[in-house]
Amino acid sequence: MLADIFTPDLFASAIRMATPLALAAIGGTICERSGIVNIALEGMMLFGAFMGVIGTMFTGSPWAGALIAVLSGMSLALIHAFASITLRTDQVVSGTAINILSLGLTGFLMEVIIGHPGTTDPVARLRPVFNITGPTEGLFGTVWRWVDAIVFSYTPIVYMAIVIAVVGQWALFNTRWGLRLRALGEHPRAADTVGISVIRGRYSAVIVSGALGGLAGANLTLEQVGSFTEGMTNARGFIALAANIFGRWTPVGSYLASLLFGFADALQIKLQLFRDVIRIPSQFFLMLPYVLTVVVLAGVVGRAVAPAAIGKPYEKG
Amino acid sequence: MAELTRETLSKRVTGVLRELAVPLVSVAIAAAIGSVIMLVSGFDPLTAFAAMFKGAFGGGRQIGETMLRSTPLMFTGLAVAYGFRAGLFNIGAEGQLFMGGLSAAWLGIVLAGMPRPLNIVLMILAGAAIGAAWAFIPALLKAKVGAHEVITTMMFTYIGRYIVSWLVTGPLKAPGQIPQTNRLPVESTLPRLHEMLPFLTPSRVHFGFVIAVLLAMFVWWVLKYTSLGYESRAVGYNPFASETGGISVPATTIKALCISGALAGLAGVTEVMGVHLRLFDQFSAGFGFTGIAVALLAKNNPIGVIAAAILFGGLSAGGGTMQLEADVPQKVILIIQALIIFLVAAEQIARWVIGWTERKGVENAG
Repeated sequence: MLADIFTPDLFASAIRMATPLALAAIGGTICERSGIVNIALEGMMLFGAFMGVIGTMFTGSPWAGALIAVLSGMSLALIHAFASITLRTDQVVSGTAINILSLGLTGFLMEVIIGHPGTTDPVARLRPVFNITGPTEGLFGTVWRWVDAIVFSYTPIVYMAIVIAVVGQWALFNTRWGLRLRALGEHPRAADTVGISVIRGRYSAVIVSGALGGLAGANLTLEQVGSFTEGMTNARGFIALAANIFGRWTPVGSYLASLLFGFADALQIKLQLFRDVIRIPSQFFLMLPYVLTVVVLAGVVGRAVAPAAIGKPYEKG
Repeated sequence: MAELTRETLSKRVTGVLRELAVPLVSVAIAAAIGSVIMLVSGFDPLTAFAAMFKGAFGGGRQIGETMLRSTPLMFTGLAVAYGFRAGLFNIGAEGQLFMGGLSAAWLGIVLAGMPRPLNIVLMILAGAAIGAAWAFIPALLKAKVGAHEVITTMMFTYIGRYIVSWLVTGPLKAPGQIPQTNRLPVESTLPRLHEMLPFLTPSRVHFGFVIAVLLAMFVWWVLKYTSLGYESRAVGYNPFASETGGISVPATTIKALCISGALAGLAGVTEVMGVHLRLFDQFSAGFGFTGIAVALLAKNNPIGVIAAAILFGGLSAGGGTMQLEADVPQKVILIIQALIIFLVAAEQIARWVIGWTERKGVENAG
């Protein structure tokens, strides 16, 4: 049975499942590094997922849909930025408002545009990037099956997430942009003193995180599912924040932590196929990612250090 | 002496009015933005709000329905407000509510045949206890390792929902096709208020409403006059100063989040004992999350929670009529709710509007 569970597609599915979490987690990393808490990633992802489907429906192109998803995430992010940076509102409360707004907007627009609540019709999806025919028989066939599944089987946003993690990691620690971003979250007053605009820096960080949240939503609807269902993000935005913490506020760390959650998700889906053998109710499998999140937070938080100025509004002195 | 009292009294009244100004103006702005959204989407906001008002307050049955829907919101609103007072954001009230509902659905059957007052008391206590227990691990993690309660209580909400979903489809499932528990015997239910107040007939509003209002007063008293309440507020206001002043921040954090969980658990208990008389997957219409809006609109004041819960209960009760008569999707209420949270939190916007209208008033008078 183990050979039936640990197949190439289990690992491929783990990487697919990790993608929306990783994108949102990296968004959380960038946002929190600038000193702004973003629990609105959940709402940005949901709005992106919805607008991606609507965009694809109206343009006929899932690429245009994905772009609209990104812009939609950014528009919600702009609200969060305005509230938490300009108005100095409590960032967690502003994030909650955006999450509820997103739930309401997607539900409302669903009935206005689609004409009914629940789930939309399927739309065109983004296709896998590669389509290579390799050997099918013998040892090479087996090796190729693994390589093909784990390396070459994905849709575009899955690869984008990996690139974003690596480039983000490099940029955060090796560029002037990264240094400034980290300064904003550690000691905004000092950053301000040496002439870095705290306001502008934080705005751009929040908006980038919104773009990543929107892209995560596009991955859900335009690559994984192919349609939108109300509330379909199911707290992924919150799990992503835990992944960001587990990844110690670094892009690659966020990606790897998301991989852990993605693997848990892939495994629970796989195990459900063996329900007749493993007599455990499906709800316990479905709970797994949430339980794992609590366990991970319990284990690492004390040792991971958050940016010092996180959650604190900045007032120019 | 009399002069002085009158002066303090009038000061108090202006003080209260000033306190109320921001929430009231915020609700008005949210309704205005909601109207614009309706207009843009091709609906008539006036018809919509008129239908909503009729559905919420148009008669005895409607008023009863508003009271019914405000009941769980008072409990969850109190839960979130108590947490906020102690500097904690219990975003997972929904999960504690689910566990409270679960305990009532189970215990109500176990206690069949016992006297009704005893059952009511036991079921309420058990629901509060399990609600507190469901908040305990997040509370412990917050106090010991600093894990953010927003993430952990949210995770526990999903875990709780899946547990309920498993139990109503499996071990606690009543015979038949529908995944739900057995109906509670009458001795394990809360009496309906129309038995005492006939003008509410035939609404389903139950005794839980009275419990919620009394509890709001009790929580207000606890926060204002007990050392428990004082410690919670002190830690919420300034944990460092509290620690220096001899209050244990971790212990207070754990206590406060568990009290918050207990209050949220009661929402589930009264929904099961008063409304559905059984448990199923979808027995809560997101009351835990709406509780956040209730608490914020009430500025975390337990007495304010009563009023804010009635407002949101009215929105919810009127939403159905609005959808039927004005054809506007009920989801618009969620949008208005989000806008209210946003505007109350970012109170500069409301203050700016108030200041602007006051300046206008002065100009017009001059």
